[in-house]
This record gives sequence, C-alpha cells and structure tokens, in this order.
Amino acid sequence: MKTGKFEGMREVLIIIAALLWSAPALAQTKVSDKEWNSIIEAAKKEGKVVVAGSPDPVMRNEIIPKFKERYGIPVEFIAGRSSEITARIKTERGSGIYSVDVYLAGPDTTATTLYTEKMVDPLKPLLVMPEVADGAKWKLGKIWFADPEERFAVRAFSSVATFLFINTDQVKPEEMRTAKDLLNPKWRGKISTEDPTTTGSGANSAARFYHDLGEDFVRKLYIEQKTVRTRERRQMADWLARGTQPICLSCREDDVRPLIKEGFKILEIFELEDMPGSINGSPWMLTLANRAPNPKAAQLFANWILSKEGLGIYAHGFGSVSLRNDIDETNLNPGNIPKKGVKYFDDTDWKWIVTGRQEYREKVWQLLKAK
Amino acid sequence: MKVTETTTKYRAIRIRLRPIRVAEVSLIAFFAVVTGLPLMFLVVGSFNLAAPGQSAVYGLANWVRAFNDPTTVSALWMSFFLSVARLIPAIIIAVIFAWLIARTDMPGGNAIEFFCWMAYFIPDFPLTLAWILLLDPNYGLLNTLALQLPFVHAAPFNPYSFWGIVWVHTSSGGIWFKVILLTPVFRRLGAALEEAARVAGANTTTVLRRVTVPLLSPMILAVAVLSFIRGLQSFNTELLLGTPAGIYVYSTRIYDYIHREPASYGEATALGSVFIITLGALLFLYWRYLRSKRRFTVVTGQGYSTARVRLGRWRYIALAACVSYIAMMSLLPLIFLIIGSFMRRYGFFHINSPFTLAHWKDLFGDPIFFLALKNSLLIATITACAGIALYSVAAYVLVSRRAVMAPVLEGLCWLPHILPGILLGLGILWLFLATPLRFVFYGTIWGIALALMVSDSPVTTQAFRAGYLQLGADLEEAARVAGASWGYTYRRILLPLLAPIAGAVGLMNFGGALTSISTPVLLYSHESRPLAILMLEYSVTGELERGAALGLLITALICVMMLIGRRLGLQLSGQQ
Repeated sequence: MKTGKFEGMREVLIIIAALLWSAPALAQTKVSDKEWNSIIEAAKKEGKVVVAGSPDPVMRNEIIPKFKERYGIPVEFIAGRSSEITARIKTERGSGIYSVDVYLAGPDTTATTLYTEKMVDPLKPLLVMPEVADGAKWKLGKIWFADPEERFAVRAFSSVATFLFINTDQVKPEEMRTAKDLLNPKWRGKISTEDPTTTGSGANSAARFYHDLGEDFVRKLYIEQKTVRTRERRQMADWLARGTQPICLSCREDDVRPLIKEGFKILEIFELEDMPGSINGSPWMLTLANRAPNPKAAQLFANWILSKEGLGIYAHGFGSVSLRNDIDETNLNPGNIPKKGVKYFDDTDWKWIVTGRQEYREKVWQLLKAK
Repeated sequence: MKVTETTTKYRAIRIRLRPIRVAEVSLIAFFAVVTGLPLMFLVVGSFNLAAPGQSAVYGLANWVRAFNDPTTVSALWMSFFLSVARLIPAIIIAVIFAWLIARTDMPGGNAIEFFCWMAYFIPDFPLTLAWILLLDPNYGLLNTLALQLPFVHAAPFNPYSFWGIVWVHTSSGGIWFKVILLTPVFRRLGAALEEAARVAGANTTTVLRRVTVPLLSPMILAVAVLSFIRGLQSFNTELLLGTPAGIYVYSTRIYDYIHREPASYGEATALGSVFIITLGALLFLYWRYLRSKRRFTVVTGQGYSTARVRLGRWRYIALAACVSYIAMMSLLPLIFLIIGSFMRRYGFFHINSPFTLAHWKDLFGDPIFFLALKNSLLIATITACAGIALYSVAAYVLVSRRAVMAPVLEGLCWLPHILPGILLGLGILWLFLATPLRFVFYGTIWGIALALMVSDSPVTTQAFRAGYLQLGADLEEAARVAGASWGYTYRRILLPLLAPIAGAVGLMNFGGALTSISTPVLLYSHESRPLAILMLEYSVTGELERGAALGLLITALICVMMLIGRRLGLQLSGQQ
C-alpha cells in the first residue's frame, strides 16, 4: 500500500519536472532588445525578403512600403492565384531552387499544400519579438497555431463571416429567418452564388449546407430553386445591388460594403435560426518557407506582420478581426466581431479544411453534375 | 581516285552546310527544346500518380478521372458548337473586311484597319461587362430602348445564352484577329488574275468568289484552323456569360482542374489532349489541301500590279457598312469601357457623383506601375522583334522545296497552340528549371519574352508562310543569278515584300505580349513583373475599374505602336 502511494507521488513529481523542463518550449520565448536588434541587423544584411501570396492591395500599397520604411528592407511580393503560386514553388523546389521566405496563403493552401507537402519550417520558436511573443497581447492568451502540431501555421484572424446578403427592397429581413426560407418558391431564380461546381466560396457554402442540412436541402436549393451561378465576384454584388438576384450566398464583404455606403438597401445576415454563424481566418495564415533564402529577414517579417503595427494595417485594410487584443476595432463592422459565449462554426478549422469540407464538396459536385 | 574521294567529301560537307539545311536543323532543334520538351514534361507528368515529393508512380488514373467526369463530353460538344457557330460568320465578315480594306478603292480603308487593330486589343473581360450593361434582360440599355417600342413586349436581347456568347465573341477578338491577319495577304495579292477574270466578263462578286478567295485560301484556311482551336480554348467570355445560363465549355473544365486546391495538372493535360487530336486532324486536311495541284503564287517578277477593284457608287455604301459594324460591335462597348474607367462603380450611373478620376490616379500611383510598364514594353519589343526574325525564317524553311523535314518543323510550330497558356507556362517553367537555361531565363524578362514568343509561333509562322506562298520563285532566282547571297536576298527582297505581314504579326505579338497573363504568371519575378500580372491582381481583388483603366492604357500603347509600326512597314515595302 505504502509502496503504491510512493509510486504515485513519484509519477506526479516526474510530470511536474517534465512540465517545468518543457515550459520554455511550450510558451513563446521573448528575446532581449539586444538580441532582437541583432536579428534586425542580420535581416538587413540579407537585403530583402520574398513573400508569396494572393494578390492583395493592402500588401502592395501599405505593408510593403511600411516594412521598408521601418527596417529599410525591401519586400519582393510574388502574387497569384494559390494554385499557380504553389505549382510554381513546387516546381522550383523540385529543381533545388528555394526562392520564397514567407507565405501569406489562404487557409486551404496552407493546410492542403504547404503543410501537407512539408514546404514550411516551424515558426513557433522564431516568434520572439517582445510584443508578439507576449501572450497577454493575444485574445487567446497565446498565438494560435492552427496546424495539428501547433508550431507551423499562425492563424492571426478570426472574423464572423457574412452568411448571406439580401437586398431589402425586395426581400424583407423577416422573410429570411431560417435556411429553409431560401427554399420559398418566391425566390426561385432570385438567389445568386459563386459557382459551387468548382473550388471557391460557392463550393464552401454548399459544403456547409450539405454538412448542416443534408443532401435534400442542397438539391432543392441549387437545382430546384434555379440558383444563378457565376464565376465573377463583382457580377454577384452588382446583381444584388440592382435587385436582379436580391439574395446572394457568396458575395464578398469588400465588394458589397461600398454599395451599402452608396445607400443601396443591402443587409448582411450573419446567422440563421437553423444555421449558426461561422468564423474564419481570412485573409491569410502565416507560415515560413523551409530552406528560406533570407531566413533572418523572413523571421523579422513574420514577427513584424504579427505585431500591432503589421496586423493593425491588415485588420484595418481588410475589415478582418485580428486575434491581437491591442488593435482598435471601432472601425470594424460589429457583425464581424465574434460575440463572447456564442458557439460558431469554424470554417477554417484545420480538420474541416483537410477532410470534412473536401468530402462534402465532392458530394455537392457529384449531386450537381448528376443533375 | 584520291582526288575524286576528296572532291566527294568536300561536296558532302558543302551539302551539309547549305544555309537552308543549317536553318532547318537549327529550327527543329530549337522548337524541339522550347515546345517539344515542355509538352513532353506535361504528358509524362499527367501519368504520374504519386503525391508531390514522392517517387513517381505511373498509371492512367488521371486520364480516366478526367474523361469519366459526366460533364466533360457535354462541355466538349458545347465548345465545338460554339466554335463552329462563331467561326462561320466571323470568317465571312473578316474576308469581306480584309478585301474591302486591301483590294478595293473604298475610302478610309486605313482608318478602318486602324479601328480593327484597336478593337482586337480591347481587353475582353471589361468589354464583356460592357455588353452585359447593354444587353442584360433586366437593366441593359439596348433592351430598355427596345422596350419603348410599341410592338416590343419582352426584352429581345439576352447575353446569358448561346447566341449571346457568339455575339460577344463576334464583337471582340473573333473577327478582328482574322481581319488583321488577312489584310496584309490581300494587300499583297497581284491584280493580274483579277483583271483577266474581269476582261473575261466576271463581275466583282464572281472575281472575289472564284479568283481572290481561292488564291488566298492557304491563309484563309490557316486563319480558320487557328480560330477554331482558339474557339475551343476560349473561356473568359463563357465564364461570364455562360455560367449563369448553365453553359459550360471544355476549357472551363481544364480551368477548373488547374485552379483546384491543390491543382490537378495531370487531369488538365489529359483533357488538353483533345486539342492535339483536333489539331492533328485539321492540319492533315490543311496539308492535303496545300499539296494539291492548286497554285497560290500571286507575286512574281513579271508584270506585278496591285491595282484595286473599283467599287463605283458602292464604295460609300461599303464604307458606311464597315463604319456601322465597327460602331455597333466595338465603339459602343468601348465607349462604355472608357466611361467605366471614370466611374466610381462600373455601370452604376444613378449613384451620387458617379464619376471620378480616382482609378487613373490610383493606377499611376501604384508603387509597382512604372516598373511593370518598363518591363512590359521591353518584353513586348523583344517578343515582337525576335518573333519576326525567327518565324520568318521558319516559314521560309516550311515553304522551301529543299526542306526535307518540313512536317516535323510545322508540327512543332503548331504545338503551343494546343496548350492552354497556363499549361504552356508550366511546361516552360519545367524546361527552364531542369536545364542550364535557368541562369539566363528564369524570372527574367528574357524568359517571359521567350515563353511569349513560343506561344506566338503558330500565328506568326502561318502568316509568314502564307506570305511566302504568294511569292514567285523567280524573284529569288533572279537575285541568285545576279550573285546575291541568301542573306542578302532575304534582307533586300523577301523581307521588304513581306513587310506588311511582318508589321502585322509583329504588332499582334507586341500587343499579345502586353496583355497575356496565363503564360507569364509562373515565370515572372518581382523585378520582371509585367503590366498583365498587375491586371491579374486587379481582377482577382475585384478592382474592376482600375483594371479597365489599365486595359485602356495598354490599348492606347498598342495604338501608338501600331502607328509607328505601320509607318515603318510602309517605308520598308516602298509603299510610302
């Protein structure tokens, strides 16, 4: 009996010792000003940082000039559609060329390509800038690493996504309380969506409908309701404003909000009674390329983009809600800010991206192609 | 005996080193590397089933998956019908336009030709949006006007339909591309045969139908083949107008595979194989036609005359018809496009203060605009000049009776036409990275220019080829008898005679290099980013108005180059 008690204590002591030993590894490590300055100097010696990502006016017009102004290091930005950029980088790597330092890629690309194909290095030990490493500066008490190993991909944003938009000249808000209201024959031919038969926000919405409400709902919504499809984001927003298709399932907020400012009677709906609101990590997740040609500059850029200044520029430019708690959110749309105590569907949850969504997307494609 | 052996050896060496043979072998080697190898990389890659980074495992799964998709066959049929439906009227209208401009005394032919060029380079995406503003059943301007008529009770136009797509294509590159290529060939046509036909009692229509068109059939057929394949590959207009109507085309399926996450290049290449088969069949028919007993020579050293057909009072009617067509099909949407670049939101006339200069200011204020402009002008100039030099020689070899491997060379020249731009870009990227070429070409303007020049090869080669087919052998023979070397003959006789064609394809390649997005997207670096990539960025980020401004700026640049090029071309050909 005694022996057993001692054995139990020994196990507890071993666990405590292990925790104490591993504590520095689990927490972000801050460095002194001197060490931080030495990183800056090393980055300056490398002379540049190469960032790859989606075309992005905030990056082009604000981030690049500001980073250069702050550290004197030019940013070379390789922009393109995710599939094109990753194809190019993979081909380069196949030939032994490593040209990119930092990826600011969408959650899908980060999860299904960059991480899965081992194109990234652990970022966690490199985030050492005092204001970045300080857990108190983050809403979750620490930086959110979204990947399963929790050390490669930083999720810096979490905004409530607009579920759908309606033109209230033609659709009264009380007519759109539940997802089933979308099946009202009155709206046949009046709903637009980005084409759900290809990858993109239209397919993601359809996958969500399939996941929450089943195949029959998807069939009724996309086939029987004659939902109008397009591949052009501006076309949907224009249809919404003109009332041609007064319900939009996959309009982008940055396309529609200027129209709301112009006085068009457009309402953003963030959740329905039978479908909870969702959050996502748009516009990007941050990862660091392995075998980066400018590793110190990459480290400096990664730290700075997560600082109050860097993330603040993005949060303001995109209207996205950052996960830092020291960024002014008064200019953001209140609907985009997650409410405490509300359980949201996480549309950029890693597992959902790599398995669930793909599986449901395939089901939607089979259903719509078999029509 | 010894002397005889030495002489034979000497002769053998001389035969091997004949300029035509050297050119033929060099060109085949060049095209095998820059077009054959990328295609081989793509085809081999399409059979590789292994996940990236893993050892290769070969199989047919990508091909089976691509062709098992239930929508593939229906999309292929839709592409075929669309391509045929727009090819037939377009080729007829284009032949009439080219004939009126180049072979008749219709006034204002040069101005009409200028507008054809301008219309060809108007960016198709905003142009299609302009047509939507004009034809949309709910708010389109032309529908609204039509509904004012007492006997019209429903919107008569609908761009989101099969015929809507055909209409928009007919207004965009569809016709102008053909006019641009056909006009120089018509211009070069000697008038002797036409005059003989007229003396024999044929009227103008009969001369056009029985003499002019058959004489120019190599170029007309080449343009038709090029246009048909282009039609099968077209997808921008179809994406915008077809998707809402549930019309999907074959190239949309390829696009979907390429833009998947992660991209499925194997399936995309498998689907692209249909283009190879189609092109193979069309080329077979084309070669058979050219090798028949017909003769197409119209420029000889004897009695060459380019006198134009007199239309009499019809000349003003013809001019009015051309002006009306251009005004309706191009100027109307162009005006919308110009207005759109000054609108706060494209097409929204009823918002407060709808007009602004902000998009133009933002364009010129973009930190990378001027670097991109410089890169684009350099790339376009290199592409145009190098293309003329290379493909004029390639076409000469193709028509030369002394060339023994002409079909191989021609097949290689056509290859870039069967690959969607992004796949060609990927193939060339592999080529650069897998060879020492990377040190010169990867990420540089030279690499982009080379890729664009390769993508231009079918159009440029066929245009020069048709030009050479018009030239009689006596011109070259006379020069040789007078002691001129081949280089001298080429420079002083052949090239000046082909100057209008060289000018046309050079400008077309110059403009194509300024606007092409899919080929350079995998090849540019921060330092070599061209304007077209900037346009892609505006398009992806929904900055439509700034994109329209940039598109107009590119069109204006091409117009300026066109004026300069035309002047030079006329000087070279002695027509000033």
